[in-house]
Amino acid sequence: MTLLLGRHEFPDDATLMMAIVNRTPDSFYDRGATWAEDQAFDRVGLVVEQGAEIVDIGGIKAAPGVEVDAAEEIRRVASFVARVRSAYPSLVISVDTWRAEVARVVCAEGADVLNDAWGGADPGLPEVAAQAGAALVCTHTGGVVPRTRPHRIEYADLMASVLADTVAYADRAVAAGVDRRSVLIDPAHDFGKNTHHSLEVTRRLGEMVATGWPVLVSLSNKDFVGETLDLPVGERLTGTLAATAVAALHGARVYRVHEVVETRQVVDMVNTIAGRRPPARAVRGLA
Amino acid sequence: MSGSGTVVKAVVVPSAPLLLAEYAAAGDPAPALTAACTGAVEWLVQRRPPLVHVLTSPPTGEERANGAPDLGPRVAEHLLRRAGFAGEVVAGARPGEQVETVLVVADGSARRGEKAPGHLDERSFAFDAAVEEALMLADSAALESLDVRLGAELLARGVPALQALGALDLPVEQVDLDYAGDPFGVQYWVVRWQCVL
Repeated sequence: MTLLLGRHEFPDDATLMMAIVNRTPDSFYDRGATWAEDQAFDRVGLVVEQGAEIVDIGGIKAAPGVEVDAAEEIRRVASFVARVRSAYPSLVISVDTWRAEVARVVCAEGADVLNDAWGGADPGLPEVAAQAGAALVCTHTGGVVPRTRPHRIEYADLMASVLADTVAYADRAVAAGVDRRSVLIDPAHDFGKNTHHSLEVTRRLGEMVATGWPVLVSLSNKDFVGETLDLPVGERLTGTLAATAVAALHGARVYRVHEVVETRQVVDMVNTIAGRRPPARAVRGLA
Repeated sequence: MSGSGTVVKAVVVPSAPLLLAEYAAAGDPAPALTAACTGAVEWLVQRRPPLVHVLTSPPTGEERANGAPDLGPRVAEHLLRRAGFAGEVVAGARPGEQVETVLVVADGSARRGEKAPGHLDERSFAFDAAVEEALMLADSAALESLDVRLGAELLARGVPALQALGALDLPVEQVDLDYAGDPFGVQYWVVRWQCVL
C-alpha cells in the first residue's frame, strides 16, 4: 500500500528508516546524549545524511521514571519539531507521544506522523491525527498503562491479541477520518511483552503483514535482544540486525532505529534476496 | 545490383546478458552501451520491416550444459521487442540470401584486462582491432575469414555471427560506429550498416 505520511508519499515497495531522536535526559540507549537541543538537532542532520526518511522525536522515555506532564513534553518537543520542519522540509517528522494534547501542538508545528507507542491509551489521538492530516502508528501493548514495565503479563493467544488490537486501532483511526494510507501497525516489541512474546511476534510478523496494513517495527537495541543474547545495551547491534533481517523478510515497511546505515543495508539486502528490490548494480557474470 | 532501391540495414550489438530485463539492476551499469543499442535497434526497425534476420553465435559448452536458452537470440528478441518490433524473427540467413533487415549479436574478446571475465590475454587487442576495422570498412571477406580458434580462446562470442554477416556480402554504403568499448573487460560494438540495392 502507498504510504502517505503527512506531507510525504512513498510508493508501495518503499522501506523507510525512522531514526530515533530523543529529547530526553534519560532514554535507555543514548542516556541523554541529545538532551541538549543543539545536539538533538545535530543528530537530525546526521541521520538525514545517513539516508533516514523519518525522524521520530520523543520527549519522554518509555520506561518508568521522572514524571513528565504534557506541558513539559510540549516544551521538550514542540519548538524542536518546528526547527526541524523549517530546516528539513522534505524530512518526515514523527513524534513519539500518546497524548492527544501534545499531538495537537506538534502537528501544528509540522509533525507528519504520530507514533502512539502506547497503543491508544489516549482515545483522542486518532481525531487529532485526522484533523491534522497526520499519519498514525497503531501499536499493541496488551492494554498496559503508559510507562510501565511488563510484569507477569500473559496472553491466551499472543498473536490473536496483537492482530485484533492493532487492526481494531487502525480501523478506529480510519473511522475517525485518518487517511487509510496513513495508518501503520506495530507489534511493539518489549511493550506489554516478555522476551518470549517479542520473539514470537518477530517470528510471526508475516501474520501482521498479511493484514494489509503497513507494518512498523521498533527493535533497536531492545531488552528482548539483550536477554536473548545476554548482552547489555551497547552490545546489541548484531542481535538487532538479525531481528531486523527476519522482519524485513516478512515484509515490514518502516524500521525505527538508532543505527540508520547498518539497518538500511540489512533491509536492502534482505529485500533484494526476497526479490522485492533489484541489486544496486549487477555486472558479475553478465558482462 | 538489381537497382531495386531496397534499403538494407544491418546492426551489430553485443550479447551481454546485462542488457536483458531479467538481469536489470537499480542502476544501469553501462548506460552509454544501453543507449547505443536502443538507438541502433530502433533505427533498424524504423520502417516496420515484416521480418528481421538475427545472426548469433552458438552457445558455449557451459551454456549448453546448464540448459539455459541461447543468449544471442534472447538479447536480440529483447532489444527488438523493446524497440516496438512486432514482426517475425528469423534465426540466421543463408550466405548470399537477399535480406533487408539484419541484427547481429556479437562481442569481441572477453579477456581484455586482469579483471575481465577471462583475465588478460594480450592477443585480445590485435584481434578486436582487426574485427573493428572489418566492421568499419564493411569488409565482408575479412569478417568471413576471422580466426575461429583464436576467437574461442579469447572468449569472443561474436566470431560465428560476424562470419555469417560477412557471408551475406552486403554492398554497404554507410557505416556508423555508435559504441566501441570494453567497460567490463569484454569488447562491445554497436555498429550500423546501410546500403541501397
